[in-house]
Amino acid sequence: MIGQVLGHCRVVAKIGEGGMGVVYRAYDEVLHRDVALKVVNKDARLDASSSQNLLHEARASSSLAHPNICTIYEVGETDGELYIVMELVEGKSLRTLRGDLGLVSESVVRYGVQIAAALGRAHDRGIVHRDLKTANIVVTNDGLVKVLDFGLAKHVGSEIFEGPTQSFATPQNTSSVSGTLTYMAPEILRGEPADYRSDLWSLGVVLYEAASGRLPFEGRTAFEISSAIMLEPLKPLGSPVPLGLWAIVQRCLTKEPAQRYQRASEVQAALEAIQSALIVSRDFPAERGGPKTTILHSLRHAQVRKGDSLLLVGTTKGAFILRCNAQRRNWEVGGPYFHGHAVYAMAYDDRAGQHRIWASTQSIWGTLLRSSDDFGKSWTNPQDATIRFPADTGVSLKNIWQIALGSDEKPNVLYCGVEPAALFETRDAGETWALVRGLFDHPHRPRWMPGNGGLALHTIVLDPGNKHRMYVAISSGGVYRTEDGGATWTSQNRGIRAEFMPNKYPEFGQCVHKIAMHPARPERLFLQNHWGLYRSDDHADNWIDIANALPSDFGFPIVVHPRKPDYAYVIPVDSDQFRCSCDGRLRVYRTRNAGASWEPLTCGLPQKGAYETVLRDSLTTDSFEPAGIYFGTRSGQLFASRDEGKTWQKIIEGLPSIVCLRTAFVSGASPGSKPTLPPAPPASSRTNSGVTRKSRRTKTRTRKS
Amino acid sequence: MPVIFHIPGGLREYTGGQKQLVIERTPSTLADALHALWAIYPGLRDRILTEQGQVREHINIFIGDENVRYTGGLMTPIPSAAEISIVPAISGGTGVSDVTGFH
Repeated sequence: MIGQVLGHCRVVAKIGEGGMGVVYRAYDEVLHRDVALKVVNKDARLDASSSQNLLHEARASSSLAHPNICTIYEVGETDGELYIVMELVEGKSLRTLRGDLGLVSESVVRYGVQIAAALGRAHDRGIVHRDLKTANIVVTNDGLVKVLDFGLAKHVGSEIFEGPTQSFATPQNTSSVSGTLTYMAPEILRGEPADYRSDLWSLGVVLYEAASGRLPFEGRTAFEISSAIMLEPLKPLGSPVPLGLWAIVQRCLTKEPAQRYQRASEVQAALEAIQSALIVSRDFPAERGGPKTTILHSLRHAQVRKGDSLLLVGTTKGAFILRCNAQRRNWEVGGPYFHGHAVYAMAYDDRAGQHRIWASTQSIWGTLLRSSDDFGKSWTNPQDATIRFPADTGVSLKNIWQIALGSDEKPNVLYCGVEPAALFETRDAGETWALVRGLFDHPHRPRWMPGNGGLALHTIVLDPGNKHRMYVAISSGGVYRTEDGGATWTSQNRGIRAEFMPNKYPEFGQCVHKIAMHPARPERLFLQNHWGLYRSDDHADNWIDIANALPSDFGFPIVVHPRKPDYAYVIPVDSDQFRCSCDGRLRVYRTRNAGASWEPLTCGLPQKGAYETVLRDSLTTDSFEPAGIYFGTRSGQLFASRDEGKTWQKIIEGLPSIVCLRTAFVSGASPGSKPTLPPAPPASSRTNSGVTRKSRRTKTRTRKS
Repeated sequence: MPVIFHIPGGLREYTGGQKQLVIERTPSTLADALHALWAIYPGLRDRILTEQGQVREHINIFIGDENVRYTGGLMTPIPSAAEISIVPAISGGTGVSDVTGFH
């Protein structure tokens, strides 16, 4: 079997075997991902009807998308062999973890909440698990629970899907029928059909077993076990288990289904209610200091795969993560993350093999920089704010406006542009941040003036050709450049008009809204000013007006094409008094000659009554061929063009006000694999802050514990 | 006498979900009381104070019924058996129900 191809999966290694089949690690050669491949033995007791039923059921289960459910990717039949392709989950089964003495109550509740959430999703879709047990619940190294094999037990029996098939550390002997029987609800033993409440009985058995290390109803024979389940009272769990948890287990294990919880969500809510009380009893001082992680169970997450395109959407009330395959047509939405917090900056960091999403969150409780290594399923939640002004500055952080990555050679270096205007740098991947004093102590700083959005350093541009050169843009301070890695800075505003100042061409103090650099021509920068569009071809030493014949030269964002240095995109608004699209026509303008002329891009965009505003970080590009252009509005609409702006489609509407938009490509190349997904794979992996990189490294997913 | 802190909904993720927290000693000032609070729940400090040690702009702290902004700020003395309420400004849009839901 090793080396054979089933469907489009090449079998790599055997990882387990059950009574009716074998499980392999395999590699999906089309979607370029590791998978688990379960093959039913040819001599298994499956007639044609049972085979079809299994296929049908597995296909139904494949529709379940939930972070706590092991995803079924594909089912099929070849040469008389049934096979199921599913998510490869690496961890330990709950059967193994619980040992002989059981887990601490806090862990039981934490896992129980996730199992109940998984059941809730399946039940909502009309799918009953029918064989929930500790052997097919896997806990990953990150503490994430994965429930396996939804709906499959009905047709195949339990053995094929036993421990070794799902977990790489569960060699327990569960070959006898008791492995399933001990989790069966009384009504099933009475011959009644299984329904949702039968799963909740099994959940009760799982919780009991996880807490105590033993099963609630045992016996030497199937008859004894069945009798115990149907007739015997539940044996108490004992004093180490909190009364609240015991009450939940008791109600799950009520012999009459009508007396149990009626929905998995009720069990989840009950477990969550006691979860906080258990956490309080822990030793808090031991947890001081380091970042805590918040795992989000109740949200819908985008199920990101290698080769996907991502849109990171920051809004005034939270963040969203949208994913799509390389076709860029149908977008799956994850979130909202950080309910009620404004997310003005996001970034995707795939340096050194990671898949990290950064986000800043702002609320009345302060501003934090947070990250996720699992595409939003969990986020760091630092107890102490990591970006903080030193005491001698006398100022406090109000917001983080920009997150920029350092060079590929220094994957632990990042920069943040903040309000009040300042630059922070980390050299240890965000563990600690330092104020860049060379800029903060600049003699101009006391004379910078806040713009409408506050006094913010909102743009950071690194020169890919000179590791010591960097630009920042400040509203209202203008453009500043360093040639020595941040030690000293010079204002670079020659030629930029400050309409609101008595001296129209001051050395500094301009209200710059955005600057963008083309990575292939780092001497060229484009600039959208508070009134005025400019280009520099000499590293920002001099700027020339390029607003030629635009309906307005007032606007916020400006981006460059990922490959064509003469292409740039802007979205003008009427004026600083009326910051909405001109004449109610939502138009993107593109130049193909570095600003000598501009053309309106309107196909698919509303051209009547559309008084929209697109803010400075809400226009971006991807790096596909042809390039995708994306923008989000203050009214919560998100538009996309897959053909460099020729035609547009609305991806989503009804979001909170969009204040940040970033694209990313989730690297999917494996060693020796061929790119197969149309359109042509992107030339670069991310477009953050106008910086596009051409690195295409092979990635090994790492997770931050 | 111990003092009781009332914690708004937006901060309970840092207190394990607890609405009320009891400090089993008598601090002399609000600053002392808060210092004792962070010793147990360190995540609260940077949510309530800026890095310069000031109460954040849209947060009010009440001792009993008195807003400490008008009674001496962090140096406000703590009476015996005080109840201290941390209240997000209504305009902040967070925890409004908690303002009315105290006690």
